[in-house]
Amino acid sequence: MFLEIEHLTMRFGGVVAVNDVSMSIQRGEIHGLIGPNGSGKTTIFNVVSGYYKATGGKVSLEGKPVTGLAAHQITALGFARTFQNLRLFTSMTVLDNVRVAMGQHARAGVWGEILNTRAVQREEKHFTDRALELLRLLNIAEYAHERATNLPYGHQRRVEIARALATDPKIVLLDEPAAGLNEVETTQLRETLLKIRDSGITIFLVEHDMKLVMGVCEQITVLDYGKKIAEGPSAQVSRDPVVIEAYLGKEEDL
Amino acid sequence: MNIVSIFIQTLIGGIGIGSLYALVALGYSMIYRSMGLVNFAHGQIFMIGTYFGIIWYRGMVLGLQLPYAVAFILAILLNMVLGLILERIFRPLANYDLMLMLLGTIGLGYVLENMAVIIWGAEGFAVNNPLGNTPIMISGVAVLPWTLLLIGVSALLMLGLNVFLAKAKIGKAMRAAAADRETASAMGIPVNGTNALTFAIGAGLAAAAGMLAAPIVYVNPAMGAAVGLKGFAAFILGGAGSIPGAIVGGLVFGVLEAVSAGFISSAYTKGIAFVIMIVVLMIRPGGIIGEVTVDKV
Repeated sequence: MFLEIEHLTMRFGGVVAVNDVSMSIQRGEIHGLIGPNGSGKTTIFNVVSGYYKATGGKVSLEGKPVTGLAAHQITALGFARTFQNLRLFTSMTVLDNVRVAMGQHARAGVWGEILNTRAVQREEKHFTDRALELLRLLNIAEYAHERATNLPYGHQRRVEIARALATDPKIVLLDEPAAGLNEVETTQLRETLLKIRDSGITIFLVEHDMKLVMGVCEQITVLDYGKKIAEGPSAQVSRDPVVIEAYLGKEEDL
Repeated sequence: MNIVSIFIQTLIGGIGIGSLYALVALGYSMIYRSMGLVNFAHGQIFMIGTYFGIIWYRGMVLGLQLPYAVAFILAILLNMVLGLILERIFRPLANYDLMLMLLGTIGLGYVLENMAVIIWGAEGFAVNNPLGNTPIMISGVAVLPWTLLLIGVSALLMLGLNVFLAKAKIGKAMRAAAADRETASAMGIPVNGTNALTFAIGAGLAAAAGMLAAPIVYVNPAMGAAVGLKGFAAFILGGAGSIPGAIVGGLVFGVLEAVSAGFISSAYTKGIAFVIMIVVLMIRPGGIIGEVTVDKV
């Protein structure tokens, strides 16, 4: 199994945000994680990417344990993520936002950089080219030299995705990438997600836009009150009465 | 001598002393924006850095008398190593509340000061000026050659720091880590490593300031307290956490001090400079260049 989450539990004091959740993600799929607000989706992301230390359970990628590693080590294993709220480096250009995420692949040390050796220049050029390629993939290459904060909201979201891809991940965790996007932008996002998937990167997607989720996800896991209530192919999950109840309430209530 | 040349002379003196405050304030600022820690031991780090260089110049180690420039480089390198060690000690403090942070850094400052007393003695010494104490005349204005060197070297260091943070990959990683610790680590940046480097650079700049100050001050273990306080004032005045702010704050503070000493009374120098600082902060609470508010989620 590619990404394996086993019996994951996360407690904050008396609150159980994630309660004994197990799930697995296949390589190369787009896997949706849905559920009402406060059901523990972002908490799972935060545990997987190393911001929270899980109270119990474990996470592994390609058989290698992830739990207990520091966030930057988890990134080095092949995880990348975006955030629900935009968290770009506001004082940097779009290009630098993307390039700064490539640092871990740098071969040149401090001295090489100070002396500006030819190897460093080559590496810099390679990073810049790769960053521009990612910006083109997300259709924002023309803003490369703008300050990230000067871009419209929807474009800033794309910069976040480009920056996540710049770490050269095996799996990317996207936390509500469609939030605040209009219909046209959401359609473009959908195409982008498929392109990313086709390039061989697995996508783990938290999203409230059901049309998008049902449209791109092969598999879906549903959470409610920190517990897994359903999982399976999207067509099957969308008809599951337990899921419908969690979202809309019981039928007799309607 | 006419009033204009006296004024220019005072101004140059103020810029000189202000450059030193700026170098010290940069250390406060860099550590604050990356770790959210106000390091009240920074004055003592400045003092230790001064000793780290001067001991080589004065032949206090194995009788070796090295040229001032070599001692200057050694001071920076040794103090950077000290910075790396201190960052490891301070790291847990950044997660506690302000009061513990305050007490922890002040306490460590005392430890450093007393270590200096134990190693080098409480008695200080004057360091002879490598460029001599004869002022040179430039169109009617008398300036010490050392003052010009001091201003030049400080300017180069500050320029170098800015280029490093703006252009170098490691510099950018440091800026990213300072701006948003969590996001930076999600991008694969080892934030503890960039913090350690930040601390080391802050300590290195303090050592440079110490070595530039040594020939014009009295070197002793208590020298850190006064300079640390002024550097802190410059850091607040310029805008806590801002790199250009620390430079501007230091220069403004130095010039204020020199002008009030030259034209009002040297007895009230500190009083006047601090009163003006308070007035500025009442008008602009974020400091002169209050660009960054450290985002501690």
